[in-house]
Amino acid sequence: MNGSPRIGLLRSLALVLAKDILIEWRTRARLNALVIFAFGTLLIFSFALGPDTQLLQRNAGGYLWLALLFASLMALGESFRIERENSALDGLRLLPVDPRALFLGKALGNAAVLVGLAFVLVPVMIGLFGVSISLSFGLLAVTLVLGCLAISAPGTLYSAVASNARARDVLLPLLLFPLIIPALLAAVKATTVVLQGDPMSQLRSWFGLLAGFNLVYWGLGFALFPLVIEE
Amino acid sequence: MTWMHCLGALVQSASASQAVGAGRIVGGWEYVWAAYGITWAAIVVYTTSLIMRLRSAQESEDPR
Amino acid sequence: MANRVRWAFLIVALGMLVVGAYLALAWAPPDREMGDVQRIMYVHVPQLWMALLAMTLNFACSVIYLVRNSWKTDSLAEASAEVGVVFGAVGIALGSIWGRPTWGVWWAWDPRLTTAAILLVAYCGYLALRRFVDDPERRAVWSAVTAIVAYVDVPLIWYSVQWWRSLHQVQSSPRTVDPQMVLVLRWQSFAFLSLMVFYVWTRYLIAMATRRRELAMPAELSAPAPMQTSEVAR
Repeated sequence: MNGSPRIGLLRSLALVLAKDILIEWRTRARLNALVIFAFGTLLIFSFALGPDTQLLQRNAGGYLWLALLFASLMALGESFRIERENSALDGLRLLPVDPRALFLGKALGNAAVLVGLAFVLVPVMIGLFGVSISLSFGLLAVTLVLGCLAISAPGTLYSAVASNARARDVLLPLLLFPLIIPALLAAVKATTVVLQGDPMSQLRSWFGLLAGFNLVYWGLGFALFPLVIEE
Repeated sequence: MTWMHCLGALVQSASASQAVGAGRIVGGWEYVWAAYGITWAAIVVYTTSLIMRLRSAQESEDPR
Repeated sequence: MANRVRWAFLIVALGMLVVGAYLALAWAPPDREMGDVQRIMYVHVPQLWMALLAMTLNFACSVIYLVRNSWKTDSLAEASAEVGVVFGAVGIALGSIWGRPTWGVWWAWDPRLTTAAILLVAYCGYLALRRFVDDPERRAVWSAVTAIVAYVDVPLIWYSVQWWRSLHQVQSSPRTVDPQMVLVLRWQSFAFLSLMVFYVWTRYLIAMATRRRELAMPAELSAPAPMQTSEVAR
């Protein structure tokens, strides 16, 4: 791999992404299960919190992101389970694939799954909680994408770690959740504002926080992931 | 506990009219004792735990 | 000899804490607004400062470990994380106890307490990770990565919670203007610092002993073993 590292990285990234998307598409059942799980979670929130429509409307953003976060645990856990079984990760390491490209590919793939899930859940949320989009759908889309990216970067990093440890199902949320709180706060606030209106012009600050969080976490993941998977 | 709180509130409203020590919380020593008690209990427990763990770690090593 | 120095830190710490208790409970004046309840500050604040110091030490060791592998650095990271969690847990509990008579509630989403609570969970996760990874080298690398990510998150958590809270009312903090209060706070801080040195040092010795047992290497070791067939954690 003596060509310009930049090109090598992008090409490796594209390959990893394509591989993962292909695997996901071939095992669509898992994606379907993920959607149903997230939908079920949203449903349970409605029941647990009661039929007070005002309450549901006000907190719809929160429930949406909670459902996404729980679903992300399943998606993230899966993304490295595939590699661990059949020692596929060893195969990847032997190839001249830049581990950073592996991180970017996996994290982007995970983010794509989450974004897809988010868009599927939006009409469900609108239906169940009786909310409507006060600002624009474009802004909602930006919020969803930023939030999913923010979950995916540290989630992919920690998933690589947790998938090789004992008690991996507990370890991933234990590591991820405290970290993700700023992103969660910002995403929920931004979503709520997009749904209910922005009288105090907060949206910019929350987008700023989400963008900053993403920058920091993608940067850290990019730098630290090679250390995590090296033998 | 809550009656201490009420007492404090009463004292606050009473003292407001005197314009002396406005907003002063009266008493509350049980919280102070709880805080210092927890601090010292934690110190005793953790120190003991560390000393015992070090001892067992060093004993299980081969004698040099 | 080193052992005597280590024990000296404990003796000094305990002595200072006893004196400090007198200073805090009897000598320092009651606060103008909070009365005697404010005396909790003299144990609450220093312990949280120690927790922060321990986390910073953990961060430094984690970074250093990734640059230069060393079991000493890894053990120090392990020690400082555990001590930080202990001080942090007690500090938060004390903050809650202080909040009850002053705010009227056990918990009030105060930005500092909230950030501290989040950090506590994050570092408990760090300790859990260390417990669940059996291979010492992997454990060292992964926990270093986790610690770095967690520490970098601290300002993010702080600002996001502050912004989140700023939409509701913000609790004011007590003003320590009185020089007697400052003196007691300083005294207590040094006392807890001495205690922390003892804790971290002792915990470091425990970690090094464990490392030696895991690697079956001679007593003086500073570099990780060359690639041996170490048991990979399931």
